[in-house]
Amino acid sequence: MPRIACLWVPDLPLCAAVRAEPQLAGAPLAVVQAGDLGGRAHVLCATPIAEGVEPGQTLAEARAICPSLVHRNASPERERAAAQAAVEAAGAVSPRFEEAAPGLVYLDAAGLSKLFGDDRAVARALVAAAERVGLRAAVGVAAGKSLALLAARAAAPDLTFEVTRHGLGGGAFRVVLPEEQAAFLAGLPLLALDLSDELQQILRRFGLQTLGEVSRLPPGPLAARLGPEGAILWRLARGEDATALTPHPAPERFEEGEELEWDAQSIEPLLFLWKALLDRLEQRLRSRGLMARELLLRLRLADASWDERAVDLAAPAREVAPLLQLLRLAVEGRPPESGVTAVRLCAVPVPEVLDQLPLFGPRGASPTQLAAAVGRLSALMGPDRVGQPVAPDRWTPFAAEVARFAPPPPPRAPEAPPPVDLELAARALRPPRTAEVRCDCAGTPLLVIGEGALGGRVVASAGPWRTVAEWWTDAPLAVDSYDLEIAGGLLLRASRELSSGSWWIEAIYD
Amino acid sequence: MHLNQCLARSIRVTLPARRLEGDPRALEDLLRTGQVRRAPAVSPGTPRPLSTGVPRLDAALGGGLVRGQLHEIVAPPGAGGTALLRASLGAATRAGELCALIDPADAFDPRPAGIDLRRLLWARPLDPVQALRAAEIALEARFALVALDLAQMGPAPRRPRGMIQVVRFEKRPPSPGASPWTRLARRAEKHGGALLVLSRTVQVGTFASATIELERGPSLWDGAPGGPGRLLRGVRAVGAVSRHRRMPPSSPLPLHLPLEAP
Repeated sequence: MPRIACLWVPDLPLCAAVRAEPQLAGAPLAVVQAGDLGGRAHVLCATPIAEGVEPGQTLAEARAICPSLVHRNASPERERAAAQAAVEAAGAVSPRFEEAAPGLVYLDAAGLSKLFGDDRAVARALVAAAERVGLRAAVGVAAGKSLALLAARAAAPDLTFEVTRHGLGGGAFRVVLPEEQAAFLAGLPLLALDLSDELQQILRRFGLQTLGEVSRLPPGPLAARLGPEGAILWRLARGEDATALTPHPAPERFEEGEELEWDAQSIEPLLFLWKALLDRLEQRLRSRGLMARELLLRLRLADASWDERAVDLAAPAREVAPLLQLLRLAVEGRPPESGVTAVRLCAVPVPEVLDQLPLFGPRGASPTQLAAAVGRLSALMGPDRVGQPVAPDRWTPFAAEVARFAPPPPPRAPEAPPPVDLELAARALRPPRTAEVRCDCAGTPLLVIGEGALGGRVVASAGPWRTVAEWWTDAPLAVDSYDLEIAGGLLLRASRELSSGSWWIEAIYD
Repeated sequence: MHLNQCLARSIRVTLPARRLEGDPRALEDLLRTGQVRRAPAVSPGTPRPLSTGVPRLDAALGGGLVRGQLHEIVAPPGAGGTALLRASLGAATRAGELCALIDPADAFDPRPAGIDLRRLLWARPLDPVQALRAAEIALEARFALVALDLAQMGPAPRRPRGMIQVVRFEKRPPSPGASPWTRLARRAEKHGGALLVLSRTVQVGTFASATIELERGPSLWDGAPGGPGRLLRGVRAVGAVSRHRRMPPSSPLPLHLPLEAP
């Protein structure tokens, strides 16, 4: 027996507004759609606190009815993010889900009993998952998609208006068991279905008011009079739902967006905005057990163009503070050319890596902790200054680069460390320090005049060793290298460029 | 209390498990009367110290670098301080431990072998304040060994006594705080990581559980001066654990630091 659950978010614009600004939940709030070409704004939906305010009223009418009314313009960015959050809430319960419309998701509830329990527990888990991402959802569970949607609509009157720390709460659910299906359908009015106006009028002329009355009619004559729509309606009235679930792949990106009512010219208002967006992204990623591998920032500028930039993360992370710092660094380093009117943040997810803590040994760094630490260090000093050290695959003395830090898993049985040879190491000077070197007639260095302690009489030297690099290019690099001991004990690696004769100190032996 | 909970709490069960399963209150009675006690055999023991890579120095340190403690290497240029830091990182990473190198001087050279670079996080702060903060973050992330290389950061110039300081209303450079080492010592102890500081002069002082001092010896050269085959072969040095919280100072340990061709 197939079981389909339907997650429906009624009043999606209102949920999106409260989700973005939770402090509005206690106020009489209405979301309005601004009219085209300076036309009147109309109310789309309103909170129950705004008594008397109904959808379709103009803003002036609504204000006359409720003087303390707070209104927000409908924001496509917010609604898009809220609809995505609804999809992710469904994905947190079942891997097979289908988004039929913004704020309307079907999912396969068969086989979830081992995870959650019976259908009621699955519905309860869906309501809770929606609340975790700041949405108030009506959930229906039945044998098919259409029936599940009818069940969700039947649950809508039970919705309450509760404020949670994530946004709106107070979801409700209705479960239609197979043995209750006939009774449930028999009492449903035909207005509960999305029928065309023409079909509604025909059925009204026939004197039909409920699905139960339709189910008692003979199917052949009904189809003959009403066409294919009549046959579908008759089957639905009898609980025969033939529409199949078409699961969609999981979203590859998690997006949150916000529009500004004015052009942000400085970083401070953007920081407030990013903090709220990152908070919501973090909730969504956490609810799915994911982390952000990469962060994409899109800024809509005052001239309606988009400024896109990718914030490279040294390791997967979802902690808000370091991500916020990284965003700040990314924008401060290259400010947008004009004011910002909208912001869109997109996280490319990767699965969270969990490891088994040791029973008896000392607790090491978990992948999550490592990722957070790398993120914090990147935010502190810049992402290009943190990572795994690697030697570049080219000839450059003492060159080093950083790569993404991805340590291998720890060994199963830690062994005693093998012996390590203590060798004189070179401390690279980046960039190499220029110096003036006096030599004798044979070319042996005698005196180094360098900055700070990097100077003095040469007491011992070895070299030169000639190296010619990049000889295949138009500007080959040819240098003579020397090991020098300065009076006072400093051991240096110095080089002289043959073409210009300039000297520089590349490293100190220590 | 269930038997599994007893095991999870590292309590030695002296009665047959069958009796405990049948009577869950029996263990509570035994706990109250002191007939059961915590078993040291199953309680987490002291974690193994981290090797410095030099067995004689490990012995002088009482086994190596103790986890949860601060250690300091004080060495003049050319005495092998960086070499000892690299050897410690090499020994730890090759034993499978995760290490962090805080390198404000940007002086690390990844080419020589000896360190498993996959297990090394290299951070290059821009100033000493960032370096101390980075070390704190690395300790909080439970890296087994955090190496803080302050060798190229000279000590702050001392202000002569009796000199009146002119106060200017301008942005002052960030300060590392009154005592960053107290904070770092607490972080190391709380999160179980060893912090190894390399400096030219004593920086950590009494906050370090052990101080390793290195003295520069003569450099070793091959070949005649000015000749074509002359090579720097290495350096001789002397190391000693000059101060240790639980052990007497060690005798001087002669060290030979050969130089591999770069």
